[in-house]
Amino acid sequence: MTIRRLSALAFALALPMAASAADYKVGPGSTLGFSGKFQGQQFDGSFGKFDAAISYDPANLAASKFDVTVDVATAKTGDGDRDGALPGSDFFDAAKFPKAHYVTTGFTKDAKGDVVANGNLTLHGITKPVALKVVFNPAAGGARLSVTGTLKRLDFGVGSGEYKDTSTIADEVLVNGTLNLLPK
Amino acid sequence: MPLRSEPGRWSTVAKTFHWVMALLIVGNGIFAFWMSDLKPSMQKINMFALHKSIGLTVLALFFLRLLWRLADRRPAEDPAPRWQRIAAHVVHGLLYVLIVSLPLSGWIFNSAHGFPLQYFKLFNLPALIDKNPDIDDLLLEVHEYLFWFLLLVLVAHVGGALKHHLIDRDDTLRRMLPFGRAKRNIPPSPGDTP
Repeated sequence: MTIRRLSALAFALALPMAASAADYKVGPGSTLGFSGKFQGQQFDGSFGKFDAAISYDPANLAASKFDVTVDVATAKTGDGDRDGALPGSDFFDAAKFPKAHYVTTGFTKDAKGDVVANGNLTLHGITKPVALKVVFNPAAGGARLSVTGTLKRLDFGVGSGEYKDTSTIADEVLVNGTLNLLPK
Repeated sequence: MPLRSEPGRWSTVAKTFHWVMALLIVGNGIFAFWMSDLKPSMQKINMFALHKSIGLTVLALFFLRLLWRLADRRPAEDPAPRWQRIAAHVVHGLLYVLIVSLPLSGWIFNSAHGFPLQYFKLFNLPALIDKNPDIDDLLLEVHEYLFWFLLLVLVAHVGGALKHHLIDRDDTLRRMLPFGRAKRNIPPSPGDTP
């Protein structure tokens, strides 16, 4: 019975650690956006539909985790032509790849002491690592989580054929999210 | 070739402004109809950007040309009835107004629609008015109708020049042609006439 006792002990020790990263769901007023550059001018977009399961404790980053799912067809950028083109096969190809998925693999602190989430983004059927800067502030009845990062659209094959031309559509895309987190 | 205009011909500078702008304006107009029929594509986006850059070039050249015109002399006017001289001036005035308002109307439409404005992929120019989806279609029509009006005025301008050349057989057109030179010396001095 020694093994059983040991595993029970290990479980008892691990339990408070795992539980110390609080679980959150996405509350109203949350936004998930992106900024690109077209013909030298920045444009801002956002996703109308996304969901996230957030486990986060600033004091226990090892137990923290982000799991975000985005409906790419809901991207809106304030321009009818662009919004019509984005879900199409030249860009997100939402019919084939309706969802983008981001899962953290771990958290680190950069030189300035800011928290950085390291994770894998699956977009347009391609998975690549993407790092996000994390700002977490506990708030009344939950918390406010802000993330920012950059990715290269061509890493994910967003913009195929002639739309690869980065002299018209910049490769670099800024990603930003502001989530009002509610306890799960 | 003279830098400044002489009594019998326009200067090289004036001729260059005239023919380069003529080529850009007419070319950009034809180009606009061709590119509008393209299917949505990156090529179409880049063609529109080129159309805008050419239009902005015309606008910039116009102001340089205006400055030059203020500094330069003008050839003496060929004899013509008073109404024809007035008509020629009205047509020239309208051309100048249209050369400015065509690119400007395009720029205003571009602003109202919320398109970026990038000059030959080099730098961006600001919007002239705020984005306004209620009036952008109307502004595009204004831009297009101004072109039709320009075409109408051009018919008068070219028609007048050809009439002088072919019917009056005077130097009006010749003195603006790239390598043209007046047939007659103006003013003729009495002693030189055979």
